[in-house]
Amino acid sequence: MNTPDTAVGREALEHEIARLIIDTLNLEHLTPTDIPAEQPLFGDGLGLDSVDALELALALQKQYGIRIESDVKDARRHFATIATLAAFVESQRAACAD
Amino acid sequence: MTALRIEQWRAWAPGLDSPQAWQAWAQAPAIVPDRQEQPECASLPAMQRRRLSRLARMTMEVASPLCADDEQLPFVFASRHGETTRTFSLLGEVADEQPLSPTQFGLSVHNSIAGQWSILRGQRGESVAIAGEADTFEHAMLEAAAMLAAGASSVLAVVAEEMPPPAYTPWIDDVPFSYALALRVGNVDAFADESSDWQLRLNRHDGGDERCPWPHALDFLRALHTRAHSLEHVWKTRRWNWQRTR
Repeated sequence: MNTPDTAVGREALEHEIARLIIDTLNLEHLTPTDIPAEQPLFGDGLGLDSVDALELALALQKQYGIRIESDVKDARRHFATIATLAAFVESQRAACAD
Repeated sequence: MTALRIEQWRAWAPGLDSPQAWQAWAQAPAIVPDRQEQPECASLPAMQRRRLSRLARMTMEVASPLCADDEQLPFVFASRHGETTRTFSLLGEVADEQPLSPTQFGLSVHNSIAGQWSILRGQRGESVAIAGEADTFEHAMLEAAAMLAAGASSVLAVVAEEMPPPAYTPWIDDVPFSYALALRVGNVDAFADESSDWQLRLNRHDGGDERCPWPHALDFLRALHTRAHSLEHVWKTRRWNWQRTR
């Protein structure tokens, strides 16, 4: 269940990930609020491509110290939107904390 | 002997981004301050622009106006030093035992700018990327002449150099400031109004060190403006002679 605190935490994380995407991929024409959390990042949404996916995976690993396994189907699911990425980062952090 | 026609040109350097600015520079050549300025490349969509290095932006800026949207031109990209900024950053990551950025890695190779030109402008023809010595400019012109001889009606050749990171200063002394020169090169037998024709000859040089004070590409640009009839560029054992014939 989402308590108000975790909802705020999730929003902050989503904002942080949006910032990371912008900085990592040189989207200098955008600000974090320009990328809705539910907007597809690849293809018709934001328009990122496969090189961006690699770059973003590297940045997430560096910033959050998480491992991203090269299971293609899973990665595609996690990298769909900022919301799914935030959920993924949270679950990985929880797994590490255990 | 190689004969070629300079159909059109464009050049960029910090603070030198118009024909008038280059005309003034040609009359009184001087080292311009390089404060890492780079062309905006505003005609490209932001999503396409974002991966362009400074060197790539300089190249796009000078090459774009010389190629019409519905035109396919063979492309020569020439740079003696290439993407020194990207390479230096990658080497730093290697030294720090950090994973390499896939983007930086993929775009650090010498033909990446020719590849980006092809993608961004839908150019499906041949392209070459060359790195010569201080006479890279002349080698680029030979390359363009070879493409003309192979049947191309015009060739787009870009010579571009970026001021390298300071760590390279002891080794790189022929880039007084970042610059890019694009030449649209054609055959001399075709009719044209506002072009100049040149003959390029290579002779053996046995004498001492007679280096040109300016990068050869910029010295040639200077000659275009001052309407000089000839110029000579010496590098090691090579003496390149340019004669204007029209």
